[in-house]
Amino acid sequence: MNIYLHELRSLRKSVLIWTLVLIGLAALYLSIYPSIVHDADGYRKLLATYPPAVRAALGINLNTILSINGYYGMIFSFVTLCGTIQAMNLGLSVLSRESRERTADFLLVKPVARRSIVSAKWLAGLTALLVTDLVYYGVLLLLVDWVKKSNYDGEIFLLINLTLLFLQMIFFALGLLISVFFNKLKSVLPLSLGTVIGWYMIGALLASGKESDTVRYFSPFNFFPPSEIIQHAGYQGHYLTLTLCFVVLALAISYLVYSKKDIHSVS
Amino acid sequence: MNVIEIHHLTKNYGKSRGITDVSLSVAEGEIFGFIGPNGSGKSTTIRTLLGLIHPASGTAAIFGKSCFEHPEIRQQLGYLPSEVFYYENMRVLDLLNYSASFYKKDCSKRIRELAAVMNLDLTKKISDLSYGNKKKVGIVQGLLHEPKLIILDEPTGGLDPLMQQKFFELIREEKRKGATVFFSSHILSEVQKLCDRVAFIKEGRILRQEKMSDLQENTYKRISIELNQETRPEIFQLEGISDLQIKNKMVKFIFKGNINQVTAMIAELDLRNLTIGEPDLEEIFLHYYEKEG
Repeated sequence: MNIYLHELRSLRKSVLIWTLVLIGLAALYLSIYPSIVHDADGYRKLLATYPPAVRAALGINLNTILSINGYYGMIFSFVTLCGTIQAMNLGLSVLSRESRERTADFLLVKPVARRSIVSAKWLAGLTALLVTDLVYYGVLLLLVDWVKKSNYDGEIFLLINLTLLFLQMIFFALGLLISVFFNKLKSVLPLSLGTVIGWYMIGALLASGKESDTVRYFSPFNFFPPSEIIQHAGYQGHYLTLTLCFVVLALAISYLVYSKKDIHSVS
Repeated sequence: MNVIEIHHLTKNYGKSRGITDVSLSVAEGEIFGFIGPNGSGKSTTIRTLLGLIHPASGTAAIFGKSCFEHPEIRQQLGYLPSEVFYYENMRVLDLLNYSASFYKKDCSKRIRELAAVMNLDLTKKISDLSYGNKKKVGIVQGLLHEPKLIILDEPTGGLDPLMQQKFFELIREEKRKGATVFFSSHILSEVQKLCDRVAFIKEGRILRQEKMSDLQENTYKRISIELNQETRPEIFQLEGISDLQIKNKMVKFIFKGNINQVTAMIAELDLRNLTIGEPDLEEIFLHYYEKEG
């Protein structure tokens, strides 16, 4: 419990900043929503001139784009991009900071098992992500309420936003998994930016390709596309299972590797 | 009862670093010196004992238990690493309280006591502390839960002589209260002052273990003499002299044994100058333990 609280305290600032970034991003795009709806036909014609591949890559569906959920589904991909960078960052740094800040000799000789340290830090990271998402969602509801022109399906809106947490869990676990294989991870941000943005681009390209159904399994960003959620009012079950399996597996390996790891002296 | 038991411990990493077949035991209430030059394997042994490094073979246990399988045994352990690093943006008191929160007792009184003895400002931020002051935080952090086993890895670096004295006094006090101390160092004289028993390690192997009382009969001195006239090597055939170098009127050697013998010998010479100093460990190893061990 003490490690959990200590970690939370040290994550405060980063949670605040990432929450503000997410809110700012959504606010920016939502602020132009009223004017787009105002000129609906013109906007639809403009988007129709995009090649279908580009529309697929951006997740644009011409029929739904002007509803709140349809429009939000499009800007949501930028929100997930930011949110997953946050999560990957957190995963990479939460365990490795003890080596980076050379405090491993302090923490790892305390009377706690290594697996308890992993648990406490994972829970602290998860809490940070939950707080980010909840605050973001709360503010988002207010923003949407302000700009909407007609009523929208709140349930689907929640379903779309919930996938932010799923994707964050995946990248948080991935970051944790990668970090335990390093003796000393010097800089976290380039690695997380590279991984997330790289994967995001690949996902966008895959979504427009021919074999998009099989390759979809390799791109978390395509697990829960908003257009599909709007269409089916739900998720595809096997992607949820896949997400869960990956998170559990990555965590299990992280526990194992971290427990067996040699902690070398700083000099 | 033995507080520390190390049996045939081996760990290799990199080319030459590591330890080979290290065995030693430390009895309850003892101050045990662990001495060897830098890079000889002291830290590797200690880190294996603490549960930071997994041994390739052999066992290391404190209070009869391995720190890997029974991390809770470290409730009784206080550790001061050779280089101290703490969470930079915390205040000293917050860090010490965080450290105390791992132990099942109220440590706040002991924190204040130790901070007062070590003259440590509890309100400062860790990042604002000098190296010596960080070291003090390390000392308080290692002792605040009144551990029954104190492991010190080259603890005196960065402490000024006055603080070293206070620190040694603290360690002696803990011993009086019944604590066992494992003290690693590359400076023989500081181990000599404090320890009951000592083990020498070099290139990853334990050369020998000795009682301090035996070792104290054999003080090691590096002696340099400047004479008024040239001399013959035969005069310096005393037992215990090694590394004898004679160059014109200058004579240099290391002496091991009863110091009175050598002062008696020197008294008969016509001296211009005389210096007696501590040989460093390397010299002692080179000229005594290599041959004997």
